[in-house]
Amino acid sequence: MIALYLVAAVAVFAVARALIERNTGRKLPYVNVMNFAVAGALVLLLDHPLSLVAAAAYFVGSTLEANAIASTYAGGVKR
Amino acid sequence: MILALEVTFGLIALAGAVSAALIRDSYGKLISLGILVGGIVPFIVDRGYLDVAIAVSLIAPIATIFVLMAVRRDEA
Amino acid sequence: MLGEILHILAAAVIAWVLFVTVDIFFGLPKAGGVSGASAIARDIEAGGGALAGGNMMGNIVCSPDASAGTLLAACGVYVAGIPGGLAAALMVFIGNRICHDPGYAGTTGAVLATFIVYGFTLVGFAATDFIAGMVLAILSIQGLSHARASRLLARLWRVRQ
Repeated sequence: MIALYLVAAVAVFAVARALIERNTGRKLPYVNVMNFAVAGALVLLLDHPLSLVAAAAYFVGSTLEANAIASTYAGGVKR
Repeated sequence: MILALEVTFGLIALAGAVSAALIRDSYGKLISLGILVGGIVPFIVDRGYLDVAIAVSLIAPIATIFVLMAVRRDEA
Repeated sequence: MLGEILHILAAAVIAWVLFVTVDIFFGLPKAGGVSGASAIARDIEAGGGALAGGNMMGNIVCSPDASAGTLLAACGVYVAGIPGGLAAALMVFIGNRICHDPGYAGTTGAVLATFIVYGFTLVGFAATDFIAGMVLAILSIQGLSHARASRLLARLWRVRQ
């Protein structure tokens, strides 16, 4: 159970660092840490096979979102 | 969920929402919305609504991508 | 309680070594890949970091890599043993392709982590130790000092080259 508290604490810390940081390119790694922490927390909260799928879906979704934000910030992909 | 954890994730969601309102930079706002969703999903899972959690986890990022597309069309 | 904390710290070190090794082996610090990763790398360099390390950190943000693979594999082993870990590896693979990443760092990390985590559960660790440990490991790279972490990663990248 310590694992869950530790993960939640890391999430809060990462969010605090993300909100303090002004530069977008440097905010994204902090938010990435929060996403890791939330994905881990989902499985630790509910021990069920589907919660693994939920954690994977949350993590992939948040990574896709960060990727989209970063590539738009970079100037976008020329299609 | 024990109270301390509820407060923790609630604070994360609240911080995301407040910063989305206060931050001026557009990318900062979108990132804050992502933080907001990150604070909410644990509540959904904790109650056992795993299918809802999966749906929200997939839909929210796609919504962000649509917003980015809309913003880019505005700039172009 | 102290025992669990020590287990988590040990798991963090193991997870750190695993994902950094796999990522560097697959060349994540190289430039290119997704444009978003390069943007993040540039900003990290502007903040005092090293470009190669920044590239790897950008790649970690933009696509599921070995760090994501390790975390999800640990979750999989916790939920359903080795089949759970391999199911997680499959989901990481799908996630890679959804993010337009043609690489195998995530899948490889996940498969390796499945067996490593399972092995450690046979000698007194709990899979949850690895979940928390992996979160601590990623915190140490992406969540503390970007400049210092990227310089460390750049140094490790030079070793590989």
